[in-house]
Amino acid sequence: MHRCRQQILKFLFPAETDQWLSILRVGLGVQIVLYCLSLWNDWIYLLAPTGRGLISRNLAESVMGAESIVIPRISWLVAVGEWLGLENETVLWAVWGLLLLGGILLCIGLYSRLAAFATWFLHLCAVKSGDLLVYGVDNFVTIGLFYLMLSPLPDKASLDWKIRKPRSQNSELLGIFRRLLQLHLSLAYFSGGLSKCLGRGWWDGSSIWRALIRPPFDVLSPELLVKWKHLFPALGIGVLIIELGYPFFIWSKRTRLVWLICVLLMHIGIGLFMGMYLFASIMIVLNLAAFGPGVVRWQPRRLRESDMVLREGALSA
Amino acid sequence: MGEQLPVSHPVRQFIAGYEHLAGIESSYGYFSPNVTDSCRLIFEIHYSDGRIEYDLPSVGSHAAGLRFATLLDKIRLTTDAGLRELMIKMLTYANWQEHPEAIKIRAIFGEVVLPSVDSFERGDHERFKVRQTYEFVKKKRTE
Repeated sequence: MHRCRQQILKFLFPAETDQWLSILRVGLGVQIVLYCLSLWNDWIYLLAPTGRGLISRNLAESVMGAESIVIPRISWLVAVGEWLGLENETVLWAVWGLLLLGGILLCIGLYSRLAAFATWFLHLCAVKSGDLLVYGVDNFVTIGLFYLMLSPLPDKASLDWKIRKPRSQNSELLGIFRRLLQLHLSLAYFSGGLSKCLGRGWWDGSSIWRALIRPPFDVLSPELLVKWKHLFPALGIGVLIIELGYPFFIWSKRTRLVWLICVLLMHIGIGLFMGMYLFASIMIVLNLAAFGPGVVRWQPRRLRESDMVLREGALSA
Repeated sequence: MGEQLPVSHPVRQFIAGYEHLAGIESSYGYFSPNVTDSCRLIFEIHYSDGRIEYDLPSVGSHAAGLRFATLLDKIRLTTDAGLRELMIKMLTYANWQEHPEAIKIRAIFGEVVLPSVDSFERGDHERFKVRQTYEFVKKKRTE
């Protein structure tokens, strides 16, 4: 019983370096910058209140408010802005600007903790108030920012570390957050793969075809795609194997590199051939942070026994 | 978790709040079990001189276009007919701002039925299947 407990603790609190945290911080910073720039044209239109945009943010906020009163939303910030004498549109642009600033600060690692918390909060406000317009990418960015905000920042690659030279890091605390991210991704891929297994389309490849020709993911023309139709069943089953096998093969050191490459290629494919660049990039960031560090170990070449004998001989001579 | 409790119950509110804060409130079954047909909204715009024009909702970027597709999927999945009509009404109102002279807009909501590989090779293409239509008329201002 005691041994079992020790094993669990050893699994949950492995001693870790902060490499994974650096990848997560910089990756999420880049992701937030891209998120802001990609919505520059539509920011006000998507988050405007009733009658002034595409769809009312008040509608999403009402639905959200019924679920829980603690979920952050844009109208909280607008209320603060009104109190300060600012107009709705000014507040929305301020949120956009602060998010962009948060992303840049995360990239360079300046005020890392504050930037991580503020970016998580502002991104959550925007995502929840625009809940009718969110898809998978927003969930995964929230997940990443949530772990980043709680993790022991700053990391050694950040400007914070170089400027302030803080005390040494708690390697076990670094370990538990990386472990949670790893477990979270394993669960996400496995459940995604399991639910895909229930549909016939992923077995016969028709889901690949449909995903690629379905507007607005129809980046490639169907005339071009149809020439590759014999590959669709293999690709469909390949997606199932990658997702279902993720929690089994990503943990083993022997198969980790292969599985990581497969998952990254899958997401690169989604980005390039379905136009889901932001979704692809967040999944690549999370995978690299969770399982990237340590996957390839660069060790200095060990001296062979014959070299040692030769050197000893040389010394005695 | 806690879904059997009343919506206003503090435990349910706390659990739902935590799920949203951590980004774990939804499942990860994207494109599963199968890839569904996509949705489309078409506006039939009527003018006082009898002219009729057709238009689609527009956004300014590819990123916003992906988000708009999600919105249409959510409208399709909405079981509450009143809420669905309200969402389409809001989208119609947004389009009306670009056509202030219109007297009536008919919003046609439907699915883009995708062809299979074999039927595409036989010459079939995607077709539009109407699910609901809504008619919105401009109210006359009373002095």
